[in-house]
Amino acid sequence: MSDFDEELTKLASAEDGKRGNSVFSNHPGMHFPWLQDRIETVVTGGKKKRDFAQTTSACLSFIQEALLKHQWQQAAEYMHSYLQTLEDSDTYKRQTAPEIIWKLGSEILFYHPKSNVETFNNFADRMKNIGVLNYLKISLQHALYLIHHGMLEDASRNLSEAETWRYGEKSSSQEVLINLVQAYKGLLQYYTWSKKKTELSEIDKDDYAYTVKTRNMLSQSCRTSANICALLKTPGVWDPFVKSYVEMLEFYGDQDGAREILTNYAYDEKFPSNPNAHIYLYEFLKREKAPRSKLISVLKILHEIVPSHPLMLEFHTLLRKSDIEEHRKLGLGVLFEVLDFAGCTKNITAWKYLAKYLKQTLMESHPAWVEEEWKSRRSWWPVFHFSFFWAKSDWKADADLACEKAFVAGILLGKGCRYFRYIVKQDGETLKKKIKRMKKFVKKYSIVNPGVCT
Amino acid sequence: MDFPSSLRPSLFMAGPLGMTDGPDLSFMCSWRDALTMPGSQPQNCKDRTLPLAKTLLWEPTTPGPLPLLPPGPDPWEPGMTPRDLLFRGGHRYQFRPQGGLDVTEQLSRFLWDHGDIAFAPLGRLMLENFRLEGNKGYSKKMTIVSVKRLLQDLGGHQPWGCPWAFLSHRLRRFSILGGPVLSRSVSLLMGRLLHEELATRWEQLLLDEAFTGGALAWLPGRTARAGQLVYPSGGALDKLYFQEVSVNSGGNPRVLEDPGHIQLRGPVRQVVTSTVQGETLLAVRSDYHCAIWKTDKQGPPAPLQVLQVEKGATGVSLSPHLPGEMAICSRSGAVCLWTPQDGLQLVYKDSETLAFRDPSPWRWADFTAHPRVLTVGDRTGLKMVDIQGPPGCGLLLFRAGAEAACQKGERVLLAQYLGQTGPTCTPLHLICTQFSIYLMDERLPLVPMLKWDHNLPSAPLLARLLPPASPGSPWPLLLGGQGGQLQLLHIAGEGTSMPQLAGPPQSLPSIIDSFPAFPSLEPKRQQQLQERLEAPVIGLAAAPPCASVPTLLLFQLSAAGDVFYQHLRLQPASSLGEPPDHQASECPASRAAPSVDQSSWTPQASARCRRWVEALMELSPTSPVWAAPTFSHRRFLGHVEHQKSQTMSQKLRAAMAKGKLLRPEDLGTPPRAELPPAPQCSQQDELTERLAEAWEGGAAAWWKRHQGQTSGSQTQIKRPKRRTQLSSTFSSLTSCLDFPDTSSPPCSQNLATSEAWPQAPGTLPSQELTQEPWAHGVRRERRQTLRDYMAKLPLQKDTPGPVATPPSQASSLRATPLRRQTAVLSGSHTPRKKPRMGF
Repeated sequence: MSDFDEELTKLASAEDGKRGNSVFSNHPGMHFPWLQDRIETVVTGGKKKRDFAQTTSACLSFIQEALLKHQWQQAAEYMHSYLQTLEDSDTYKRQTAPEIIWKLGSEILFYHPKSNVETFNNFADRMKNIGVLNYLKISLQHALYLIHHGMLEDASRNLSEAETWRYGEKSSSQEVLINLVQAYKGLLQYYTWSKKKTELSEIDKDDYAYTVKTRNMLSQSCRTSANICALLKTPGVWDPFVKSYVEMLEFYGDQDGAREILTNYAYDEKFPSNPNAHIYLYEFLKREKAPRSKLISVLKILHEIVPSHPLMLEFHTLLRKSDIEEHRKLGLGVLFEVLDFAGCTKNITAWKYLAKYLKQTLMESHPAWVEEEWKSRRSWWPVFHFSFFWAKSDWKADADLACEKAFVAGILLGKGCRYFRYIVKQDGETLKKKIKRMKKFVKKYSIVNPGVCT
Repeated sequence: MDFPSSLRPSLFMAGPLGMTDGPDLSFMCSWRDALTMPGSQPQNCKDRTLPLAKTLLWEPTTPGPLPLLPPGPDPWEPGMTPRDLLFRGGHRYQFRPQGGLDVTEQLSRFLWDHGDIAFAPLGRLMLENFRLEGNKGYSKKMTIVSVKRLLQDLGGHQPWGCPWAFLSHRLRRFSILGGPVLSRSVSLLMGRLLHEELATRWEQLLLDEAFTGGALAWLPGRTARAGQLVYPSGGALDKLYFQEVSVNSGGNPRVLEDPGHIQLRGPVRQVVTSTVQGETLLAVRSDYHCAIWKTDKQGPPAPLQVLQVEKGATGVSLSPHLPGEMAICSRSGAVCLWTPQDGLQLVYKDSETLAFRDPSPWRWADFTAHPRVLTVGDRTGLKMVDIQGPPGCGLLLFRAGAEAACQKGERVLLAQYLGQTGPTCTPLHLICTQFSIYLMDERLPLVPMLKWDHNLPSAPLLARLLPPASPGSPWPLLLGGQGGQLQLLHIAGEGTSMPQLAGPPQSLPSIIDSFPAFPSLEPKRQQQLQERLEAPVIGLAAAPPCASVPTLLLFQLSAAGDVFYQHLRLQPASSLGEPPDHQASECPASRAAPSVDQSSWTPQASARCRRWVEALMELSPTSPVWAAPTFSHRRFLGHVEHQKSQTMSQKLRAAMAKGKLLRPEDLGTPPRAELPPAPQCSQQDELTERLAEAWEGGAAAWWKRHQGQTSGSQTQIKRPKRRTQLSSTFSSLTSCLDFPDTSSPPCSQNLATSEAWPQAPGTLPSQELTQEPWAHGVRRERRQTLRDYMAKLPLQKDTPGPVATPPSQASSLRATPLRRQTAVLSGSHTPRKKPRMGF
């Protein structure tokens, strides 16, 4: 029955698309939600909309308007009238009605200054049983609402009910939803587990209560893992689930399991390239005291996805300490790339690292590395970082930062660079020594031939 | 830059649009986005959840925007409407009305208005088939038509197809003779071209992509409270104006002096400004040119470069990182970067679209957090392209497809980089489609950080992200539709937290909402004014809020070249129990409260509107009078009898041109005293009966009687249980709201007792809905709601038959006392409520 209906609605919407776009040459296939309204202002033919349809659609637009004007009270009143749409004789409309009602109704009840959890519960419980197809979605959102309001037990009960719900043949979308419901349930179990864990840490280990508690926790974790595991096989972003699941696995010493989960989450090609997946894996490996090469290989991938991440500075220190020359070369590139980004221009640590590392690289006589990095940046870094404007404003805002930048500017652009000259000319009492040292070093090591000014 | 430490769970599916096999999680509501999962430590989950700003509201101080500047001197034509382009009427048995381009009418209008152009050469060719007055001989040849007779017959003929027009055999013969030649040659030559033109016009009406991005910009001035508005004006939008504006302490703008302007050689489509390292730059896009200026605090702007785009430019943007860098997109699919040092550089070129094949040549480009990486977009998606990398490479940031749960037929209309320079800001990109907006983080491609259905009734081609009113509070994001609709979203989440909506989005008044503030004019002028206010909005700018006064000044530019402003105040959280206009309607006494009542126009605002409309009316020239085409046939025909009615038609025409009424006295005919037609009473005429009863004050009694009849005559249909259950959710909400009412000022207290009859029943028929029996027992503010609702309802047909009341409602009406009767209204579609009846 439901399949047939779905088929019908699909057909109807397909036809709509075809009709609506018959005129267009430039936008075939594009759908204009406002097309029908424009046509209806002119074209009078066609089957007349019944009064019922007109009142409901007018009511719907009133509700939407009231919501956008934050008139919750008025929206609630209109909503009251809108419920008639459940009795529409148009099958398609009747089918989509519960979804719309839920969407609007829950929004009203969420924001209405005088609604409370009970009202919301009432509404959600009723909506679940209208148009059975929405049962799972509504249950899930209901649970989220309860979690948000701190009612974890109620939410958990809600999810358990949803979990066992079946309707017709199990479709793939239903399965994913059930997995999601279970995962949220797992997350809730994790919360209670985590609470017990903190309680446990306060109890003496020889106590009888301790063993009981541990047993309790063990059983909890078993259930949780079963709940969360299924979802993690579906491609998606599942950060909170992965995080909590890994924490539990680690607590019980199942390092291999945790590693497998995290590796899968980070490296499975069907998943979106989520930076957090790599970050979690790196943090896990760090906790595990994994060898440096392993850490570097994880961060290398993160570096490719998000070169601006704060962890890149950690990556740099790892690379700097590495014995392999290639790594040390990469260490320079990582710093340059961090500073490419507009959000990182004021990152004093990054500038400090760069100044220090440039010094080290040049003293180790690898000017070629610097040249290579500098080649692609020569055209825009001077304006981006080392303009006269920045020299003035950096010195005003943060003299330390200005010094570090001036050092880098001196090395990369020579002592004739305006940024360098401006900072050197300033007479900061405390920084005098530093500036002097800087001048000396720049003179000796700058990659630019003396005499060339920018 | 920090990345959110934990992202919101979401499914990830690859696939084409609208073909998601999995559950559509976008079904989730806007409030879901506001929910945060408690962190890993449940005990502090209460603290971790962001305080949801349920009350975040920017309140407009006037019910609509006000004109900032007097109207420009150039006349403005509203352009085409759907009425000009589409066939009226349609097939009766179609499921819903559908549009078809009305080529025939346009063609016939052309033939009528410019018949000399269309037919003169043909006429000369067919000369031998006509008998003019000179040649006397009577011909029996079927191929020769007498022109004199023909014209006589044609004299009474109506243009464009009067079905009752009399066809003489001469006319028929003429049409048989001339038909193939006349109709085919002209329609063959013109038909296809005309159809093409009409199709592009129609497409333009639905989506005018030329103004994507907006042609209004705010240049910050020396202080936070002053700046410059840059916008095109003039009839062809080819003058670029620079208007100094300062904001006074009340938050209202003051126009400083006469604006300077630059005359350009094409219409301005887009104006972009950017301030980098203290330098303010201005880029302008015309149809085939792009230009960049450097503006100074003093002195006129200095032009840096003008570029010609042969295939037509579709978008231009300025770098937020490096002064003077400009990205330009062309219809050919090329994206170029112009830098002051290196000049023009081709960044990307592909005539194909990104994600799937789409014929639209529209392209877009913007910058990203990395100064050497650009986004390149078209209708199907958005790609990040490294300028220095090998050509053709890039990473897809957004794809119209299952990844973002896009609908069928969804296309990208606008893409914008939202990252502001600063250490905490996340590199977000805004993507607008016809249905939704998406916020994408460039570090996590393809997965939207936030999706929200905007439901705008026109294309959202304008968007502006403004700095927050105070540090730490959400960023206002303005979204503007082409039809003038405005929405304001509150984006929160910086550093390690996810971007999300900090409160429910709100709509702002559009220009047409200030129509009531203008003085009423005579109908023709009124129509003109309305058309002008309804002109599409082509630019959106805002003077950013500053810390001292949390006010926002919004500017809108309409296609007519008018600039309107709207002043918004961040509503303090305390006064937010109910929206202010609601209070006002509930209790008139609260109007006297010192807070500015947003539902009414201040005298200053009305005066401003009046001055503006006066200036407009002075400017608007009398439009040229349409004259019927004259065919110079008289010299061939000697004198054809002048029709008697000619004097009358001349007078009529003269009166129309002046916009006056033509009275019988003007024509010289004595006015006839004619009695209005007597009402025809029929036995079944319920309306008359009811009116008569109402006149005598017995409406309620009549209603009761009537109801008794109708409900008795119908069988009770059992309403599904769920409906009543559901309505009780909302009525419980309504009723729980009743309690505070009783404690509020006396004006609401007497509602319950005498509310339905504030006057003696039946005193004035114009007592609006209080006359209506159904309004009996409905609280007053609810009646306001209803009245609004009723006004939108279709006028009921005049079938007063006994179908009126669904019995369950009728019974609830009788059974429940006053207060609880809100349920009555759930069935307000029934014909018994005739909103216009009492008048």
